[in-house]
Amino acid sequence: MKACKKFAAIAAISARSNLAYVSEALGRTLFLAVILYIFLRLWQATFAEMGATRLGGLTLAEMLWYLTITEAIMLSAPRLAQQVDEDVRTGALAVKLTRPISYPLYCLSASLGERFVRFAVNLAVGAAITTLFVGPPPSNAVSLVAFAVTLPLAFVLDATGNILIGIGAFWLEDTSGLTLIYSRLTMILGGMLIPIDLFPAWLKALVAWLPFSGIVYGPAHLFVHVESGDFVLTIVKQAAGTAVLGLVVWLVYARALDRISAHGG
Amino acid sequence: MCIHQRIGTTKSQPDEDRRMNAVEVHELYKEFHLRKGGLFSRRTRSVAAVNRLSFAVSEGQAVAFIGPNGAGKSTTIKMLSGIIRPSAGEARVLGMVPWKERSQLVRHIGTVFGQKSQLWLHLPPQDTFDLLAQVYELAKFDYLRQRDLLVERFGLASFMDTPVRKLSLGQRMRAEIAASLLHRPRLVFLDEPTIGLDVVARQELRDLIREWNREEGLTVFLTSHDTGDIESVAERVIVINHGRVVLDGDVAAVRQEVSDSRVVEVKFDHPFEWTDLPGVRVLSSSTYVLRLEVDRNVTGVETFIQKLLSAGSVADVSIEAPPLEEIIAHLYNKKESDPFAPTLKRR
Repeated sequence: MKACKKFAAIAAISARSNLAYVSEALGRTLFLAVILYIFLRLWQATFAEMGATRLGGLTLAEMLWYLTITEAIMLSAPRLAQQVDEDVRTGALAVKLTRPISYPLYCLSASLGERFVRFAVNLAVGAAITTLFVGPPPSNAVSLVAFAVTLPLAFVLDATGNILIGIGAFWLEDTSGLTLIYSRLTMILGGMLIPIDLFPAWLKALVAWLPFSGIVYGPAHLFVHVESGDFVLTIVKQAAGTAVLGLVVWLVYARALDRISAHGG
Repeated sequence: MCIHQRIGTTKSQPDEDRRMNAVEVHELYKEFHLRKGGLFSRRTRSVAAVNRLSFAVSEGQAVAFIGPNGAGKSTTIKMLSGIIRPSAGEARVLGMVPWKERSQLVRHIGTVFGQKSQLWLHLPPQDTFDLLAQVYELAKFDYLRQRDLLVERFGLASFMDTPVRKLSLGQRMRAEIAASLLHRPRLVFLDEPTIGLDVVARQELRDLIREWNREEGLTVFLTSHDTGDIESVAERVIVINHGRVVLDGDVAAVRQEVSDSRVVEVKFDHPFEWTDLPGVRVLSSSTYVLRLEVDRNVTGVETFIQKLLSAGSVADVSIEAPPLEEIIAHLYNKKESDPFAPTLKRR
C-alpha cells in the first residue's frame, strides 16, 4: 500500500513537472492538426473510391476518431528509453539507486505521469479538430470505460519495452537505433495509421503474437467500436506482454547491476 | 613533534570514549576488467580500482576522503552505498553490509553528488521535499518538523516555492543538501558538494555541513578536490591513490605538517652547486634559481642556512609556508620509496 502511494507520488510530481511544458506540448499538436487533415482527405478519397461506407468495420468518422486516438497515444510517448540510457551512461543511475525505491518502477511511474499529461493535451486538441471535421466521437459509455481501462495498461506495456531498451545501454554502444526501430514497429505493427483489420491475413497473424497492437490499436479501436471479445483480448495481450517484458527487464536489470561500476566514473 | 605519534594517539581512543563505527572497511578490493583490441583479438586486462583498502570512521566524525581523479574514491563510495559489489574484502556501514542490505541501508544514509541533482528542475524544492517524504515513507509529523528545521537552518524559506531552474547554484546546493537530510540519515556521502560555487556560497555550505555534523552528530564522508572544503568541514583526512590509503590522519596533523615545512626560493648570483640534505626536497632547479621544501623537524634552520650559503653566492631568498594544496599534491605524487615526509603515517 505504502509502495503504491510512493509510485503514485512519483507519477504525480512527474505530471506536474510536465505541466510546466504545456505550452510546448500545445506547439507539438500543430503537427497533429496537419496529420489529421491529411488523413481526413486520404480516407475520404479511399472511402469514395471503394464506394464503401465501412472499411475494416469502421465508418469514415470512426476511422478519423481512431486515428485521433492512435496519434495522441504515439505523440505522447516520453523519451523513456533515452532517459534510461542517459542515466546509465552519465552515472545518474547511481544516485537514483541510493533511494529506497526500485529504479525500473521509478522510471515506469515517472513516465506514466508525464505521458498522461501529454496525452491529455494531444487528445484535447485532436478531439477539437476531429469534431470539427467529422462531428463528435462515436463512443458510448461502454466504449469509454473499455478505453479508460486499456489506455493505462497500454502505457505500462510501452514503458516496459522502453525501459528494457534503455537498460541495453549497459552492453551497447548506442541504443538510439533500437529505440527508433521499436518506435517504428509500434507505429506500423501497432496500427497507428491503418487499423489492423485492414492488414493482409499473414501480417494480421504475425501481429496477433506481438505486443505492439496492445499499445496502439487496442485502446483506440475500443474507443470507436467496442466489442466484449476485443476488450478481453486487448487486456490479455497487454497483461501478457507486460508480464513477459517485465520478466525480461527484471532478469536483465539484475545482470545490469553487476556491470554498473563500468559506467559513470 | 612527530605526526606519526600524534596520529597514533588520535587513532587509539580511550575505551570509555569509544564510539560505534559508522563505516568499517577491511581489505576492500575491487577490480575491473577492461576489454582491449578488436573483434577478433579481444584481450581483457584487470585493473584494481580499489586495492585492499582498510579504514574505519567512527559515528559523528567528519572525514574528507580525497585523492586525484581515478584514485578509487567514487568506486569506494559506490561500494559503501551498496551500488556495487567488491571483488573481495569486507565493509560495514552502520552495521550493515552495503551490497547485501542496500534497500535497508539507503533509508539511513544520505547522498549528495555535486554534479547530479535530485531536485526536480521545473518544480519548487517544496515539491521534491514532499516526494522524498513519500519515497522514504516518513510519518507526516516527523517530516514536517524536520523540513521546517532544515528550511530555517539552511535559509530556504525565501525560495521554497520557486522552481529550481530559477535558483542560483548556491541556493540549489543548499536545497540539495537539505533534501538529503530530510529522512534524518546518520551518515551522508557528499561528493564534491561545493563544485562550481562562488567563495561566499562555498563557505556558507561548508558551515552548514559542519554545523549539522557537530550539532546533530551526523557522520560526514566528504570527497572534494577543494582543500578549503577539507579544512572547514573535516576533522580527519584520508588520502588515497591507486586504490590505497596514502595518508590517514587528522586535519590538524596535516596542517601541522604545513607549518613544520617551508618552501624556500633562493636566487644565486652565479651557477650554484647543491647536494642533498635530509629533510630537504628540491621542488625545482634552474641555473640561478633553486626552490626547496625544508622540513624543520629533520634539518634545523641553522644547518640549512649554512648549507645554502656554501652552495653559492646568494642574491635573494624568499620563504613561505606551503599551502595545503601543495602538501596534498605532494602526497598524490608520492612514491613508496620517497624519503621525504618520513613523519607521515603510511600504509
